[in-house]
Amino acid sequence: MEIAFDYRGDVTLELVSGETVRGYIFNRNSAASPPALQIFPIGQPSSRVIPYADVMAITFTGEDTASGKSWETWVQKKESERKAEAEQIKAEAQARGHL
Amino acid sequence: MAVPVAQMFTVTKYVLTQKLTGVKRYPLVLMLEPLFRCNLACAGCGKIQYPDHVLDKRLTPEQCWAAAEECGAPIVSIPGGEPLIHPDMPAIVQGLVARKKYVYLCTNAILLERKLDEYRPSPYLTFSIHMDGLQEEHDLAVCRDGIYDVAVKAIKAALKRGFRVTTNTTLFDDAAPERVRKFFDAMMELGVEGMMISPGYSYDKAPDKKNFLKRQRTRELFSRILHRPNSGWRFNQSPLFLDFLMGKVDYQCTPWGNPTYNVFGWQKPCYLLQDGYVATFRELMDQTEWDSYGTGRNEKCADCMVHCGYEASAVDDTFGSLRGFGRTVVATLMPTAR
Repeated sequence: MEIAFDYRGDVTLELVSGETVRGYIFNRNSAASPPALQIFPIGQPSSRVIPYADVMAITFTGEDTASGKSWETWVQKKESERKAEAEQIKAEAQARGHL
Repeated sequence: MAVPVAQMFTVTKYVLTQKLTGVKRYPLVLMLEPLFRCNLACAGCGKIQYPDHVLDKRLTPEQCWAAAEECGAPIVSIPGGEPLIHPDMPAIVQGLVARKKYVYLCTNAILLERKLDEYRPSPYLTFSIHMDGLQEEHDLAVCRDGIYDVAVKAIKAALKRGFRVTTNTTLFDDAAPERVRKFFDAMMELGVEGMMISPGYSYDKAPDKKNFLKRQRTRELFSRILHRPNSGWRFNQSPLFLDFLMGKVDYQCTPWGNPTYNVFGWQKPCYLLQDGYVATFRELMDQTEWDSYGTGRNEKCADCMVHCGYEASAVDDTFGSLRGFGRTVVATLMPTAR
C-alpha cells in the first residue's frame, strides 16, 4: 500500500466486491479504523475512501509521471533532446490555452 | 525596507499574540495550492508530477477562503502549478485581500502581462515572480528559452501599474556565487520590492555523511553569496533566516509554520513532504507526529534548509527572546556587516 501511495501514476484496484476502480491514490491511513486509502477515480469529481480490507489487488497501470523527470536526468540529456522535449511541452501547454 | 511597515506590524502583532496566549505551534504562512497544472515543466519539480486528471483539478474560491480562515495565518502564499492558469484566481485573490491577508501570488510570469487587468494593486497583494538567476541560469532552470525575458517584461509592466512585486529564487549547490550576486543587482535595478531566496530541496537516500556534506555545501554557497551584501539588496525574509543559510545560526525546522492546503486536503507534515492528508487544519495540527520530522529525526529532512520550514523558525527566534530580537535589529540595520 505504501508503494502504491508513493507511485506518481494511476493504479487499478480490484475490490473483493468484483468492482474495478482506476485512479490516483493520494492518501492512506493505516492507523485509521478501519485502515483505508483515498483515491481520485478517473472521471469522478470527488475522492473515494476504500478500506484496505476491500482491496484484493493493485496494479500500476498508469504512467509514472515522475520517472525520468529529475534535474540530474535533464542536465545529462543532449541539448537537442532537451530542446525537443521543451518544444513538445510548450506545444501541449499552447494546445490547452495555458500560454 | 523590503516589507512594508503595515505588514511588519501585522505579523509582529500576530506572533506576539500567539506567544502571549501560550500557543506553542502557530501557522505563519498558508501555502495555498489551488492547482498543480503548470505551463512550464521545470526538471525535478515534484509539484506537477501527477496524471492529467489530477492536474485538471481545481480548488474553488470558497475552499481557498475557508482554508485561509480556518488556518488564521496572516500571510497566504499561492504557489502551484501556475496559479494564473486558474480561471477563478482573481476571485480567490480578491476574497483573500478582503479578509486582509497578505497574499504572495507566485508565478512564472508567462501569463502575467496578459492577466494584469484582472487584478487591482493593493498593499495586500504581491506578485512573487519565480526567477532562478540571470537569463542563462533561469532559462536552464525552467527548461525553456526566453522565459527570463518574458518575466522581466512582466515585472516592469506590473511595477508600472503600481503592483507590489518580489522575486523568489531557488538555488542549488552548483550555483555560481558571483553570478547570483549579479542577479541580485539586476533584480534590484528592475525595482522589485524585495527578493526571497532558498536552497533547493532534493530528497536523497544517501548515507548520513553525504547528507552532512550537502548541508555544509549549502552553507558555504550562501556564505559566499551573502557575505558583504551590496547595500541595495533587499530581501523580504527574516535576516536571521539568511544567517541560518550562512551557517551563522542553527535552527530546528518549524513545519507547522507554513501549512499546505491543496486539492488533496491539508498536507502532512509540510510543503515539501507528502506523508498523507487530513480534512481540516485542526486535524493537521493535532494528528501530525511533529516530533518525527526535522533534522536528525527523519532522513527525508536531513539536508533540508528550505524557507518553508526554517523561515518560521527564524521569526520565532526574533520574538522568542531579547537576544533574538536584538540580533534581528542589528542584522536589519547593518546588513552589510555580514
